[in-house]
Amino acid sequence: MRSLFNAVRTVIREIRVHKMRSVLSFMAIAVGSVVFIDSFAAIFSTYDRLQKQKEVSGIARLKITQDYNQTSADPDEYTPPPTITYEDAVSLKNKLPGLYMVSPEVQNWRNTLEFEGKRVVTTLTGVTPEWAKRDFVYTLKGRFLDWHDVENKLRVCVLVRKAVPPPTNELNKTRMKQWDYTAAFDVLVSHSDMLGKTIKLDDVTFTVIGVLEELPASKAPDIILPQNRDYKVLAPVTTLAHYGFIDEENDSMDLSVDAGDENNFAESLKLVENFLKIRFGGDESFLIDNQMELIKDTIDASIKASLVTISLGMLAFLAGGIGIMNITLATVFARTKEIGIRRAVGASRGDIMLQFIVEAAMLGLIGGVLGSVLGYVWGVPVKEMLGLGQSPIKLWMPAVSVLIATFTAFVFAIYPAWVAASLKPADALRTE
Amino acid sequence: MSISCSELSKVYEGGKAGWPALRGVSFEIKPGEFTAVTGPSGCGKSTLLNILGLLDEPSGGRYLLNGRSILEMTDRERSDFRRDQIGFIFQSFNLLNRLPALGNVCLPMMYAGIPSAEMQHRAHELLAKVGLKGKEKKTPLELSGGERQRVAIARALANSPKIILADEPTGNLDSASSREIMDMLLQLNAEGITVIMVTHDKELAARARRNLRMKDGRLEA
Repeated sequence: MRSLFNAVRTVIREIRVHKMRSVLSFMAIAVGSVVFIDSFAAIFSTYDRLQKQKEVSGIARLKITQDYNQTSADPDEYTPPPTITYEDAVSLKNKLPGLYMVSPEVQNWRNTLEFEGKRVVTTLTGVTPEWAKRDFVYTLKGRFLDWHDVENKLRVCVLVRKAVPPPTNELNKTRMKQWDYTAAFDVLVSHSDMLGKTIKLDDVTFTVIGVLEELPASKAPDIILPQNRDYKVLAPVTTLAHYGFIDEENDSMDLSVDAGDENNFAESLKLVENFLKIRFGGDESFLIDNQMELIKDTIDASIKASLVTISLGMLAFLAGGIGIMNITLATVFARTKEIGIRRAVGASRGDIMLQFIVEAAMLGLIGGVLGSVLGYVWGVPVKEMLGLGQSPIKLWMPAVSVLIATFTAFVFAIYPAWVAASLKPADALRTE
Repeated sequence: MSISCSELSKVYEGGKAGWPALRGVSFEIKPGEFTAVTGPSGCGKSTLLNILGLLDEPSGGRYLLNGRSILEMTDRERSDFRRDQIGFIFQSFNLLNRLPALGNVCLPMMYAGIPSAEMQHRAHELLAKVGLKGKEKKTPLELSGGERQRVAIARALANSPKIILADEPTGNLDSASSREIMDMLLQLNAEGITVIMVTHDKELAARARRNLRMKDGRLEA
């Protein structure tokens, strides 16, 4: 204990005397620290995002769609493939109550919406309350559709208000104008208070009972599944059928399903397949997308990417450690005579080793602390200023980083310290 | 503290067969003796002193310190021996230039684990004893050669050693300083410390009670 205390005292003096050398050592380790904290924060935010995505999107997802790619040898024998209807969705949910979500969806394009004399083109999507269970990345004003609306085929609808899109270049702007035929709808919804008012959809009167506002891009949790639907106006699927927006004979619904439990996913998948077979006969008229695989692949890819990041952080520490080793070794050679003197007055090999190890560990410690401060400065105000977004630095990250910095310096000092301790006192004294 | 050597040899590695610095040296030194080791350069005086001071190991022969063979000691035991029983005085002083005189004197006591206050007190006493009162805060670079060697003597005395090993202690000093240092060594010997001094100064050697003359790695009768 006393020798450790002595070593610490000696080391503090050494660090003060050799300012330049010490500062370089600090920096070597501090940079490692910064990279480490940064990468740890990146991993943490990835993990965080994945958790949120899982909550929003679920994992055990599958999607049932009609298989349009049916072929038949003779055009006269062509029979249209069976369609999925609202009743099928209800039946599936009743047969398999374990499923967390069975959301039927059907779209009708290029509808006309009339509101206070203005007419815009929009897209109608028929859904049930199940729709809101997953991938719900909106804030709701008013209320969402409920089962009462669906069962009674009420003429109510919910509008989707687009978030301000992130800034983009001129080409994209032009493209958007060319292809987005519902741009006028977005403008209308953003600029008018339509909640509780009546609108006309293809001359059928609907009441707007709710408005879904998309969260701005920076705040919205990502959806793991690629969102290929562009939602504009949501109405009960039954209402749309009743008023002839869709034709249940020909327009098949898509069923978005969340099996709820990822461990029973395979079983759920089989049950759903069986259900379809029994209800529609043996023909494989439907496609079942196993979305869980996709979700898991996406998550795995994210985790792999963050492992690359953390390995960068570790490599940075390695570089810092080698820097410390180099500097410590140089110190040993520069102070050979001193080592001889200390040995002559009674320092043992252990004392000499301790001195150099403590010195390196202290350089590591100070470097780690310095790196943590720099890491915070880089991660929070600087990144914010550069528009990269703050790193979610948790208190334990700098703590771990200081520990690793100290430990790295300690490990890399063992060899130089051993070299120092192995010098024969007589030889060490002879050097000039 | 008795010293007993028989057939000590030392071969330095290097070259084909190595270079023999000592070729069988045998002698005994009784406690309290003042011994001067003389001889021309390269005759093995310093090598002998390094071995006696446990700074180097002999290649062959036996060396008993107080009846214990040093070859059987661990590094820790040898270090403790150097720290507690032996004081070194070198031709080139071998002080740490970054430390003040006081710090240099404290060094052996630091390794002995003596409490700080006691260490400081004793270091002040020792520096006063060698006539450096008031120069405790000066670093070796601010002191003259004679003063530096006195700091070295104070350091050698820090842990009250039984033996002082002096390797050409006056080699870098003018004659006045040389006399002072020699007087000090004689004084220490009078206080009961065994002194072994390597020198090629015949006048100084003449003041020692016993002379060992060396030539080509051997003692001359």
